[in-house]
Amino acid sequence: MSIPKLELVSLVKEYNDGAVVAVDGIDLSVAPGETIALLGPSGCGKSTTLNMVVGLEEPTSGDIHIDGLSIVNIPPGKRNVGLVFQDYAVFPSMTVRQNLAFGLVVRKKGREEIARAVDEVAELLGMVGRLDVRARDLGGSEMQRVAIGRTLVTKPAVLLLDEPLSNLEAAARLAMRRELRRLQSEIGLTIIYVTHDQIEALSLADRIAVMHAGKILQVEKTSLICERPDHVYVAGFLGSPPMNLLAGEIRPGVAGAAGPAFTHGPLTLALPAGCALEKGSYTLGLRPESLRLAPESEAPLAGTVSLVEFRGGDVVVTVDVASVKLDVILPATERPAMGQSVGVDFDPESLVFFGGDTSRRLDASPMGRPL
Amino acid sequence: MASPPGPTHPADAPGLSPAAPHGGGKPPRAKGGNIGLALTLPGQIVSILVLVIPLLVALYMSFTDWSPTRGSLFDAEFVGFENYSELLIWDTRFLYAVLRTLCISAVCLALEFAFGLSLAVLFMRRFRGKSLLFSAFLTPMMILPVVVGYIFWMLFQSSGPVNQILEFVLGPDVALEWFRSAPLAVTAVIITEVWHWTPLFFLILLSGLNSVPENPVRAAVILGANPRQVFWRVVMPTLKPVIIVAFVIRTMEIIKLFDEVFMLTRGGPGSATETISLYIYKLAFNDFQLAYGAAAAFLVLLGALGLIHLLLLPVRNQLLEVKR
Ligand SMILES: Nc1ncnc2c1ncn2[C@@H]1O[C@H](COP(=O)(O)OP(=O)(O)OP(=O)(O)O)[C@@H](O)[C@H]1O
Ligand SMILES: [Mg+2]
Repeated sequence: MSIPKLELVSLVKEYNDGAVVAVDGIDLSVAPGETIALLGPSGCGKSTTLNMVVGLEEPTSGDIHIDGLSIVNIPPGKRNVGLVFQDYAVFPSMTVRQNLAFGLVVRKKGREEIARAVDEVAELLGMVGRLDVRARDLGGSEMQRVAIGRTLVTKPAVLLLDEPLSNLEAAARLAMRRELRRLQSEIGLTIIYVTHDQIEALSLADRIAVMHAGKILQVEKTSLICERPDHVYVAGFLGSPPMNLLAGEIRPGVAGAAGPAFTHGPLTLALPAGCALEKGSYTLGLRPESLRLAPESEAPLAGTVSLVEFRGGDVVVTVDVASVKLDVILPATERPAMGQSVGVDFDPESLVFFGGDTSRRLDASPMGRPL
Repeated sequence: MASPPGPTHPADAPGLSPAAPHGGGKPPRAKGGNIGLALTLPGQIVSILVLVIPLLVALYMSFTDWSPTRGSLFDAEFVGFENYSELLIWDTRFLYAVLRTLCISAVCLALEFAFGLSLAVLFMRRFRGKSLLFSAFLTPMMILPVVVGYIFWMLFQSSGPVNQILEFVLGPDVALEWFRSAPLAVTAVIITEVWHWTPLFFLILLSGLNSVPENPVRAAVILGANPRQVFWRVVMPTLKPVIIVAFVIRTMEIIKLFDEVFMLTRGGPGSATETISLYIYKLAFNDFQLAYGAAAAFLVLLGALGLIHLLLLPVRNQLLEVKR
């Protein structure tokens, strides 16, 4: 593979002399033309990471490379990195045209070059008719368009977007999401996209990096990450509803089970014969998609339906199995009644185990085959 | 006149007057508005009387030839616009007082703005002893104008501290007679005034700078603007309303410039530092031409109103705009 466009190497940011570790050793490499979504809860260090890449914050340690060259000693305006803020941060007293031209005007580019670049970007963003409107008179999604356009005019090598859609109302957010997709494919930018909305991440990114408490827990292709979460936290964060996670233990021979069994509180689950896992503490993951309802007598788990949620294409059914709530996704044609007693069945190969101490997914399936 | 908001929720209205029929006539809101008006009416009447009556009396006076030596105001002869035409056409001393006041004001405000802005920008950084300096820099504007005038009168004496410092720095025989030369007297007035009121600009501009949103500034930095470009292209336009309001406040004050000049020079030498207020004061209390003085005061009021509206013109819409 060619050298990555952007590479973060053991990047650390501490505040208040190490009392707050906002970013705790991040490694990430972004290929040219790739869009990576940084997904994580509030305060996990997403903005701090972007601020270091763009140069607003100085890393405590670690390095940042663009096209293989370190940029940490280059001042923010000269790094060729663009950043778009959640609150747009347009220059309110300037017109749209002046906003778009700003990056070139401050670099003292020629008048014609500026006009050409501004027209081009205005065309791209559908703002041609609004060039002479004052930025403070624009609506939210127009402001965000200006903010993106003003960055594109400077032709950044890497574009960073810090929750660019969160201040927009639902409809505008959807429209802007489409718009961003179109921009991506039209100009092939390298993008890091920060969000805490997983739908946004799933629909825009090639790969998703899940961050938690200053660390990147997993980076994976968008198409795979929901099925192959690598860490308990990722498994509980992605998907709607996310994976059912049961922290418990594997013991050899529990009452009522012949071989080793997994126990979680009152719930006991016999492991299939030939299970390769040793005894110890584990977290068991059951994907709602791979669970199905079955007659009570034939299923390994039994419980009562406590919630049925129709979602158009499918149904989310919550089954209480001995005080443990399991989410099951069923096709819309199956509609169990509330309070009904049901059995819950699954393919043994779909079970996912995470190490009880590492929280990492175990490479082998309980059947001894790699997943 | 704005009446206080009545109950805006229609559901409140029946509680106010249960018997009121709901079908035709005014919407319930008007009822609440009327009650609000009725409740505040006495207060509004008193404030109108207190505000308007003295103004009306003075306005009437400016159309007479009244003087306190000549008995009651209402016995004085009504002279129409005579005072005004005299002032506008013949009274060069008035004209010069106006021009002088405007010139001194312009120089003072420019200096106060420049110093105030520099100090405010300085105070956006971190340095040692900042909070102590902050209090020190604000002190001048809390001193009574008369006292400031008195202090600087003392400083500018022929053998006073200012001259002593000048002699120490530039050698002997450079002592200046501050109050005997017209340009020096004007300079002394300007220095006094700038010292006195720079803190107000400093304070207003500092709070303005502090409320400049951070992200547009950061965006400008990322887009490649150097600190100077960030300041002039992003920070200053955001500050514009604040700056203009500071100028309006100071303009209103400085065209009334009186106390300091009175204490420093009494308008002298000759009439080199005679401001509008000082001239009107002399008209009233040296020459007893109160009616004429009142006319001058009204002309100044009109001029000041025009000036301030002109100043506010560029930000009027922005200030009056209702944020969603
Ligand atoms: N200047 C600072 N001084 C001290 N702590 C800071 C500073 N800036 C950020 N932090 C802390 O660093 C952590 C990460 O902040 P950051 O803004 O990167 O989070 P985020 O992931 O962007 O969150 P959000 O989704 O809310 O925007 C937070 O706990 C925050 O309190
Ligand atoms: Mg953030």
